Parts: sequence; structure tokens; C-alpha cells
Amino acid sequence: MKLSARYNRVNLVTTVIVMLVTSIIYYQAIRLVLTRQKDKDLKVEEEEVFSYVDTNRKLPQAFESNDQQITFTEARPGSVKREFIDTLYYKKFDEDDIAKKRPGQPKGEYESGRGLISFTTVGNKYYKILIIESKVETEDLIRIIFTITIGVILLLLLVLLVTNKLILGRLWQPFYTIMKELRLFNIADTKEIRKIDTAIDEFNELNNAVVAMTGKAKQDYKNLKTFTENASHELLTPIAVINSKLDSLIQTENFSERQSKLLNDLYGAVSRLSRLNQSLLLLVKLENGLLKDREQINLQALVEDSIVQFDEIFQDKALRILYTLDSKEIYANQNLIEILLNNLISNAVRHNKKGGEIIIDLTKKSLIIKNTGDHLPLTDKIFARFHKSSGSEGSGLGLTISRQICENYNLSLSYQFNTDYHVFIVDFA
Amino acid sequence: MKSKKSPFRKKIQNLSKIKVVHLRKKDLKILIIEDEEGLCESIEEYFTGDGNICETASNYRDAMAKISLYRYDCILLDITLPGGNGIDILKIIKENNYPDCVLIISAKNSLDDKLQGLNLGADDYLVKPFHLSELKARVSAIIRRKTFSGSNLLLFNEITIDLLAKEVRVDNVPIKLTRKEYSLMLYFIANKGKVVSKNAIAEHLWGDGIDMANNFDFIYSHIKNIRRKLMEAGCNDYIKAAYGMGYKFTE
Repeated sequence: MKLSARYNRVNLVTTVIVMLVTSIIYYQAIRLVLTRQKDKDLKVEEEEVFSYVDTNRKLPQAFESNDQQITFTEARPGSVKREFIDTLYYKKFDEDDIAKKRPGQPKGEYESGRGLISFTTVGNKYYKILIIESKVETEDLIRIIFTITIGVILLLLLVLLVTNKLILGRLWQPFYTIMKELRLFNIADTKEIRKIDTAIDEFNELNNAVVAMTGKAKQDYKNLKTFTENASHELLTPIAVINSKLDSLIQTENFSERQSKLLNDLYGAVSRLSRLNQSLLLLVKLENGLLKDREQINLQALVEDSIVQFDEIFQDKALRILYTLDSKEIYANQNLIEILLNNLISNAVRHNKKGGEIIIDLTKKSLIIKNTGDHLPLTDKIFARFHKSSGSEGSGLGLTISRQICENYNLSLSYQFNTDYHVFIVDFA
Repeated sequence: MKSKKSPFRKKIQNLSKIKVVHLRKKDLKILIIEDEEGLCESIEEYFTGDGNICETASNYRDAMAKISLYRYDCILLDITLPGGNGIDILKIIKENNYPDCVLIISAKNSLDDKLQGLNLGADDYLVKPFHLSELKARVSAIIRRKTFSGSNLLLFNEITIDLLAKEVRVDNVPIKLTRKEYSLMLYFIANKGKVVSKNAIAEHLWGDGIDMANNFDFIYSHIKNIRRKLMEAGCNDYIKAAYGMGYKFTE
């Protein structure tokens, strides 16, 4: 949820609640005031009746006007309690109105009214006085006030919404600018995050923090890169010395069988060491996205080349190789794709059994490399660094590197075990 | 600087050019610019002999001094040097139009360096660690390319290799070699008289991308095939096994 949406929601809900509560209080207050006003009118009327009775010693005529009715009824002395009541007021329609209406229509209607029940004695007779006044005007007034209030609430909400949308949108603009810069930020780039121009302190602070942070990240990254390069240099040089010394050593003739066995083992170990080191460096570079140059590659030709390269190795293990290659081009770094192919095919050879089978299928959609081997499926751990099956001569980085290469080009590398075949799939989709 | 070459310098240059022509047959003059003493020594030892002369420089200043005074057939150039950068040395060689071949040997296996080196006019680029035999083969190839003079033939006793047609003849009878066998043949001739380890051969033929551990049986079958083909054509058996560690191409 967007901050502004969330803010608007809270804002709206509280505004509506506050407005509703206020309007209820408002309504009640107006009602109270108006009812009091009515009651005063009724009292005045009552006074008039009393004074009439006092002076004339008889009841006034039952009086009826447009909005007032006074009735007198004889009652048992002392049975009437003086009180104000909410009641109904029967309003007769005008004669003209009735004439217009169809016959059978009621001659009047009930509206809400306010009444005062009182009593008086004329001679020895006890009378109940009922004065009813129509409240319809009061109610109309209340209704108008209420409608206006609701109208104002709605208008206010609308204005709030619109201004929020406009102002908040503009107010948050620096934030979105910073976000955009951050999204485009690439640690390997030389491009710096721009300093934005805003009068809002919070955004200025955020911007400063972002600029400082990315600057530091870049510096750290640069240091790391330098470190990696230095480490490679420092490590490769001694390996190079060992290698060259071995090459020199074997020029000094006359070795016993035992000595040559030892030398062979040394050679093997050194070449493993150097391959391991190179794999690590490659992995670091891949993970840092340093290998960015790309070209159009004919994958079909590349796979064919790899298969030819492996020819002797297939023969050595008496492996049967079956392949169908469709033409397929991808846009990537040729070196990396070669490494990927070599890794996958090496794996298919290394973990195969003598006289086994390798099947390579290249289609527009995917590259599939299947091999026979162990009868048990492998877990996804095979893609982890330095995960090795027992007795494997590899560096344990081959599949990690392969997956990283695939990720570099938004390809997916997955493993399946399918009826005795170990299947590696590079999905181009 | 360029235009103000002293007559003396010019003379030396001309002399060295004449010398190159003379040396082309066999003797090479090589400058090894490498700060790692152990490596420098090994390279020097491997290249010296057979009429070849090696000089070494272990820092930027020494290297610059030697380059400004003498011409070499090939300069083996390390990028990271005490006191300076090998790339700068390469720039100076190219700015002055020195004819020396340059092979960069670097521990920096970064594509940027490689491209920069090759773009600046280096003839080849080899990443540490490498086998001395590989280095020798690369140097031979560079010098063959540079001194190419119409006939692109490599002669060794009764063996003639046509480098353009990629054809090997024994006493003028062509023999059919596969791509790898041909490449191996050149490798042996470049390293003649030296024991070449199986590791070096495997890396040369398959690259270090193919990591097949220590199984070198398939190298053996290649060697066997080459020997058979050569001997069937009446060639002497020059390829000798060396203590189970490698092979030696020798007269």
C-alpha cells in the first residue's frame, strides 16, 4: 500500500468519524434549542389560556390555526399532570388542495408536534388542556442544517482527497527521484548518485544518506576488487614459480621410477591448485557482474566444438554420445559460454560409468545434457560451492560457476533425475 | 622525441635489424621482464641454450634502460613490476616503433588487461601460471609470424611443415595428421630437446577449461598415432617417452 493511500485512508476515516460525531452533537444541540423555543411558545399559549379563564370565567374557544391546536377535555380533578410531550399534530389540508385531490384521499396528515398538557378549573369543573404545535418547521430547519453539514463534510473530503493527491504527489517527488536513482545504481558503474534539489529537510537527509552510502559501497567494492586482483597476483605467482620449477626440474634427466611418480603427483596437485584458484577468481568476477561484454554466439557451433574437444575423453571412458543440435543463437560472452559447456560436459563425463551414455539436445528453448551414472538422484546441493561427491577430482566449483553464468544471462540451470539419467537443463526462456 | 632520434640509435636499430635477419634461422635474443626471481630464472634457463640469448630485467627502470638501448626478438613482459606498469613499457615500445615482439605474461587474468595489451600491439598474452613449454611454443609462433618471409616453411631434418597449409611432409611425402596431432607436432618442434610434461600437453591441446584430472591415457594414444604416421613415412623416431612424466622431441 502506498504511503499516501494509507495516509488518505486514515485521514478520511478520522475526518468522517469526527464530522459525524460533530454533526450528531450539532443536531442534538439545535434540536434542544429549538424544542426549548417551542416549549416557550407553548407556555405563552398556556398563559394566555389561563389569563382568559381568569378574566372571563369560562374556557376560550377551542382554537385551531395552521400550526396550533388547543383542546379542552373535562377530567377528574387532580388526574392531570403538567408536562411537555412529543406527539403528533394532525394537519388538515387546505380546502383548495383537497378539491384538487381525488375523493377518498385523507383530508389531512399527521406531522410531528410538540405538546403541553396542562389543566385548569373553570367554576367547579376540572379541564385538561392540550396545546399542540406543529414541529414541522423546526424539523425542516434541522434538516436543512443537517443537509448543509453533510454537504460540507462531503465537500471537505473531496477537497482533502484532491489536494492530498496533488500536493502529496508533488511533495513526494524527490523521494521517487531518489528511488529511481537507487534502482539504476550499479556498484560497478562509475556513475554517482545525483544530489537532488529539494527544500524538504527529510528528503535532503535521505538524499545525503543515500549519496554517502553508495559512495561508501563503491569505495568498498573498489577495495574488494583491488584485493581480489592483488590476491590473484600474489597467489598465482607462487603457483607459476612452482610450475616453472617443475618444468625445469624434469629437464634434469635420470629419474628413478619412484621420483617420476612423485613428480607426476606434484604436477597434478599444482594444476588442480591453479584451476581452483582460477575458478575462484572467475566466480568472484561473475558474482560481481564484472564480465559484461557480450556478442552474438552460434551456440550450435559452440556445442559441436566442445563435443569434438571431448572426443578422446569420451573414447577413453567408452562413452556413447548422442546429440541433436538445432541452430540457436544467444547474446553472451563467448568465453563464459564455453566454460559453461565445458563444465556441464565434464560433469557428464566425470560422473559417468564406463560404457555409459551422454545425450545432448539443443533446441530453441533449451539445452539438455543427460548422462548415465549413479542410480540415485542428486539433491540441489550440487550447486553449492565446494559440494563434491566422494572421490570427485573436480574443484567443486564447476556447477556453482555454471549456475552463476546462467544467472548472468537470465537463463536458468536446473537438475532433474529422470529414469536413470541425470539431466541438466539450461532453459533459454 | 620520436623525430629526434640520434644517428647512433638509428645505427643500432639498423644493426639489430640486420642481426634479426641473421638470427632468424636459429638464435633468438630474448628479454625477460619479470620481477619474480624464481620464475625469471626458470624462464631464462629454459630459453637459454641452442644458440638463444636471454637477458633479464626485474624492475621497471632496468627494463626501460635495456629497451632503450637494445633490440630483442621477443620481450616477455610482466604487467605488475616494481616501479611501474608493464603496459607503459609496451606503450613506449610501440610509440618508438621498436620491432620487438612482445608477449605479455601476467597474473591478472582480467579481460580488460588482455584486451588493452593486445590493442596496444602486444603479440600474445599468457596468463600465469603457465608451462615453460607453452611459453616457448607461443614465442616460437610469434617469431614465426613476425619473420614470415614468403616461404612459410618450418624445417627439421627430413620433416617439413607448411604453416599456411597446415601440412606436414616427410621427405616431401605429405602425411595426414588430425588437427590435434598437427598442433602437437608444432608444440614438440618448438620445444625440441626439452622434456614436455603430460600436463603441459593436455593443457595445450584441450585448454585449461577441460578439467580431466590426471588421466592422460588419451595423450598417449595421440603420441602413438603421430609416431606411427611419421615412421610409416620413413621418418626417424624423434619422440621419446621421458620417465613416464612426459615426452621429448629430440634428434
